[in-house]
Amino acid sequence: MLQFILSGIAIGAIYGLVGMALAISFYVTRIINFAQGQLMMVTVMVTAELASSGFPVWLAAVAGLACSCIVGVLSYLIAVRPILMSNRFSFGWLVSTLGFAVIVENAAAYIWGPTSQAFPPILNKISLPIGDAVLTAQQLLAIATAAILAGGFEVVRRHTLFGKLGMATAADPEMASAIGANTTVVAIVAFAVSAVFAGIAGLLIGPTTFANPYLGDTFGTYGFIAMMIGGGTERPVAAMFGGLLLGICAEGANALINSQASDWFPFLVLVVILIVSPKGLFSASNPLFRPRRPMVAGN
Amino acid sequence: MSEQPAPVLEIESLSAGYGRFDVVRDVALTVGKGEAVALLGPNGAGKTTVLHAIMGLVRQRRGLIRVGGTDVSALPPHRIARGLAAIAPEGRRLFLDQSVEDNLVLGALHLRRDRARVERLLGSVYEIFPVLKAYRHRLSSFLSGGEQQMVAIGRMLMSDPQVMLLDEPSVALSPVAVDIVVKAMLELRRRGASLLLVEQRIDVATRVCDRLYVMTHGEIVDKLTPDMVRSGGMSILNKYLG
Repeated sequence: MLQFILSGIAIGAIYGLVGMALAISFYVTRIINFAQGQLMMVTVMVTAELASSGFPVWLAAVAGLACSCIVGVLSYLIAVRPILMSNRFSFGWLVSTLGFAVIVENAAAYIWGPTSQAFPPILNKISLPIGDAVLTAQQLLAIATAAILAGGFEVVRRHTLFGKLGMATAADPEMASAIGANTTVVAIVAFAVSAVFAGIAGLLIGPTTFANPYLGDTFGTYGFIAMMIGGGTERPVAAMFGGLLLGICAEGANALINSQASDWFPFLVLVVILIVSPKGLFSASNPLFRPRRPMVAGN
Repeated sequence: MSEQPAPVLEIESLSAGYGRFDVVRDVALTVGKGEAVALLGPNGAGKTTVLHAIMGLVRQRRGLIRVGGTDVSALPPHRIARGLAAIAPEGRRLFLDQSVEDNLVLGALHLRRDRARVERLLGSVYEIFPVLKAYRHRLSSFLSGGEQQMVAIGRMLMSDPQVMLLDEPSVALSPVAVDIVVKAMLELRRRGASLLLVEQRIDVATRVCDRLYVMTHGEIVDKLTPDMVRSGGMSILNKYLG
């Protein structure tokens, strides 16, 4: 019991990070970047490549994050911005970000081959017994990193001028530009930040999954589910809670139903949650979490 | 009109609109430094479009728009917002999930490296609207309509613009709140601000402004002064405003 909850939290932290990555770019720009999983994969592949050719792991990791940052910004400039320029209300990015994902994925498969490469173990070899359960230090690192990033993101969003500007852009982009915000720059930064979140998720899970060009598919999907369960579309940090819940559900299904159950059980949970609470469990507009607002005259 | 002060806002032969249609055609108007000018007209006359064109929020605009000597007719809104023009828009459009003070500070975005000036501007907003100082840590969605309008005007002030654009600040407010907003605009004038006020309420416009433009169907059809309105111009206005 304790074991599947703990390992569920560990994998859930990864799903949560990818979910937050999706949610951050959606929050600011109202665009779902379907290439988010592939951004995570870029970090994993570049880090694996550099580490295996002799660079120190930390340097390889930084370079990997920088690469996914660049690809993330490119995904905005190539797949999103031209579409919004021609029609602000177009949904063309649905297809174009998906297309971008396919291109990145196949480019990676072309460069590194379709099979898995070695990934530096980082902390994966160290085991820590907790009660009668066992976690690797890598899993613990994932949980701690996710907690720090989720908390840090909230602090930045609420308490720095840039975070406040991001909130303003999310709420009313036209008004934000009328107070002097360059909304294109804000969107690019949002895509870069979300690429870093996805990349860090990749560094945390890489030692377990190894470096595979098709990694982005699975984690992109689970990240999306995490965002939807949590309601991260309105509060990015809610995607982290969604991810943790998703992780526990998946590991729990594996432990309690059968070893394949994590393939379908989380989707069942998603469907039930979306029927019961369409905006997600932890979103700001969920009645459980909504602050009571007095009626305002004249509105 | 020769004794007018140097213009801080000049518009000549402005046409602007959305899609294939021009909402306003061949508009010309000026606002002098320290002057308050009203743009009156019925719903759909294109008053808001004129303000949005000045702010750069209407992408399709032709003609000359000059703010303080700078041609802004090709600039994007975030450049115009850097101290040239600022708007208190229709419906106030506050950032509702942020506090009053956050809304105000965001108004001074382009001055973010000049903390002393931001503090000074914040001080002057709280001087004009003391109630906002008491509420500064509240979510702006928790305020009443009148208080929200004060925040919108304060946010406009915070960028220290050359010309201030106010879009129907009196709409949907109680008489008491309208009075507060009018007094605030008079206080802004006393401090030397230049205002372009879009209004449907003639009494508000005549109390605040030096000159009135009347707009119908996207064109400026008449220019009046408050005295002309008081001495019987009401009938002229009623002809336009219906």
